[in-house]
Amino acid sequence: MHNDETIWACLGENGFCSFKVRWKEPKQDFCRNPYNVNGLCNKMSCPLANSQYATIIEEEGINYLYMKTVERAHSPKNLWERVKLSRNFLQALEQISKHLEFWPDRVINRCKQRLTKMRQMLIRMRKLSLKGGTKLVPIKKKTEKREATRELKAESAAKVDLAIERELLERLKQGTYGDIYNFPKKNFDSVMEKEDEEQELQDEDESDMEFVEDLGEDDEEWEDIDNKVEEVEVEGDLGMNDLEEVSLPARKKRRGKVEVEYEHEIDTR
Amino acid sequence: MATARPVVSIYNFENPSEKTGTMPMPVVLQSPLRPDLVREVHRDMAKNKRQAYAVKPKAGYDTAAASWCTGRAVARIPRAPGGGTHRAGQAAFGNQARGGGMFNPTTVWRRWHRRVNVTKKRHAVACALAASALPPLVMARGHKINQVAELPLVVSDGIQSLTKTKQAKEALKKLGCGEELQKVIDSKSIRAGQGKARNRRYVKRLGPLVIYNEDNGITRAMRNIPGVECAHVDRLNLLRLAPGGSFGRFVIFTEGAFKKLSDIYGTLKSGAPKKKGYTLPRAAMANADLARIINSTEVQSVLRPKMERYTHGIKRNALKSKELMEELNPGSTERRAVQLKSSQKGTPEYDEVQKKKKARIEESKKYNKEHKKGDETFYKTLMKAFEAKAAADAAKKAAEKADDEEDEE
Repeated sequence: MHNDETIWACLGENGFCSFKVRWKEPKQDFCRNPYNVNGLCNKMSCPLANSQYATIIEEEGINYLYMKTVERAHSPKNLWERVKLSRNFLQALEQISKHLEFWPDRVINRCKQRLTKMRQMLIRMRKLSLKGGTKLVPIKKKTEKREATRELKAESAAKVDLAIERELLERLKQGTYGDIYNFPKKNFDSVMEKEDEEQELQDEDESDMEFVEDLGEDDEEWEDIDNKVEEVEVEGDLGMNDLEEVSLPARKKRRGKVEVEYEHEIDTR
Repeated sequence: MATARPVVSIYNFENPSEKTGTMPMPVVLQSPLRPDLVREVHRDMAKNKRQAYAVKPKAGYDTAAASWCTGRAVARIPRAPGGGTHRAGQAAFGNQARGGGMFNPTTVWRRWHRRVNVTKKRHAVACALAASALPPLVMARGHKINQVAELPLVVSDGIQSLTKTKQAKEALKKLGCGEELQKVIDSKSIRAGQGKARNRRYVKRLGPLVIYNEDNGITRAMRNIPGVECAHVDRLNLLRLAPGGSFGRFVIFTEGAFKKLSDIYGTLKSGAPKKKGYTLPRAAMANADLARIINSTEVQSVLRPKMERYTHGIKRNALKSKELMEELNPGSTERRAVQLKSSQKGTPEYDEVQKKKKARIEESKKYNKEHKKGDETFYKTLMKAFEAKAAADAAKKAAEKADDEEDEE
């Protein structure tokens, strides 16, 4: 027999209802039934345990008043009667009062409160959609790590420094810099020789190069380069005849380096 | 609000939007709702399908182990005998030993099955059937019946002759069970736990239970539809009507089956024709709507008027509250006023008081003159008497002293 009391006894506090959600902290029961007017699980608001019930449901921006009565309690298909509410808030309230005229005051009030809530929610939704909102993109740790490693590898593989060096020397040879840079002659020549070891240096027009003495500021910078240059093995005296002889004996000494082998005792324990 | 419908519509299974007729509601479906009873009976009935499990009887004890007793600098637990192997001298038998038996070994003679009283079982089935006739309970159990035309859902007998699953599915969908069937399909998932490796790999929700009277193909048509179960009216199983112990299964009756319910269970008066000695359960209350009963004219008219409970106001202190003092002790305010006035010079009250004072002093003086002066005052008379006695005593003492001196000499 369809009796609200008995049904609530089966569903309610100590019973089972698939729509019930129980929270332990704070102690509160919620109702997931879409027809529930305030979302709480208690005898007053249970849409299943009340034969006479009314709610407001929002569909695609339009609010509807849903009502159910005892007379249709046996037929789930025809249970809910639906009234489309006006877009105008005051008119909608009027409509609710009219349709629920002889219903208990509490039911009417609850419906009106829910209508207000729904409308506020819709307003907020509209505002949000206008804002645009930031799109959240997740950071994928694996991908990030992988890309970072690959970047490093690519960088080292590209050998950027070497390429830059080559490019600069090219430009220097071509003469795009003209006279703006002053290099000490010996250093310049040695580097050039290093570049043209396989070529005949007679092709080179060294006479086109004019060496201007600088004011003596940057000599210190080139001290280190001096040392480096002296250690380089010079295979031939090609093109050296035209140049001024500066610290040539140092070079001659280094010609014919002798490799010395040393024996080391190895512990065989 | 209590309602009991007298009549249920029957739907044409081919065209469920039309009704082929009506049928009176069987009394079974108006049984009282007893979730506790159903749960209890289900709990016990569900135990009856169990298969025994236990450890081997000899498990852990299949060694000739014996304790080495004391004196060997080892624990006294039984140890495996012999030598030449790791096993020798190792602990055995105890639940704490490696390779020993378990504590309290599981046994096959555990009481696996439970017997339930026949009447109890029948009551439970009746109760479960009644629950399946109430939309709120079926919805609460979790079935999606929003498109179903009526509950209890009775379909014309033609559905019993369906042979093709496709047709059966169509029929169910037309009856409004589409959502329910979809729910079952969507819910299929791999079981959590060991069961998945024990031939119980998948779990899914339950769908409708179709109760028929004559099987002309319906079971075979329905059996491959996920979630749908079939049952013969004569053999209704509580484990199907209230799965998991919760009543309110979504049930679809065929016309013949629905009619047969009345034949099987009968009424409260007649008893159940097909179940010997059984009558349907009676409700403890004919009308369970307590609020309605209390507020009815029949009850309200014979109530005595409501008792007025004495409500104590705030307790007042008479010493602080002049009004209360006057209430309790009439005349006290007047007296207080006179008292105050009498200390103010010039008022008649003051004079009165002074007059009284004077008179008192006069009186006192007069009295003193009379009684406290002269030789015959109380005090002097008293002392005279005492003096006489004192003199007598002194004389006596002197006499004694004289005697003593004589004796000494």
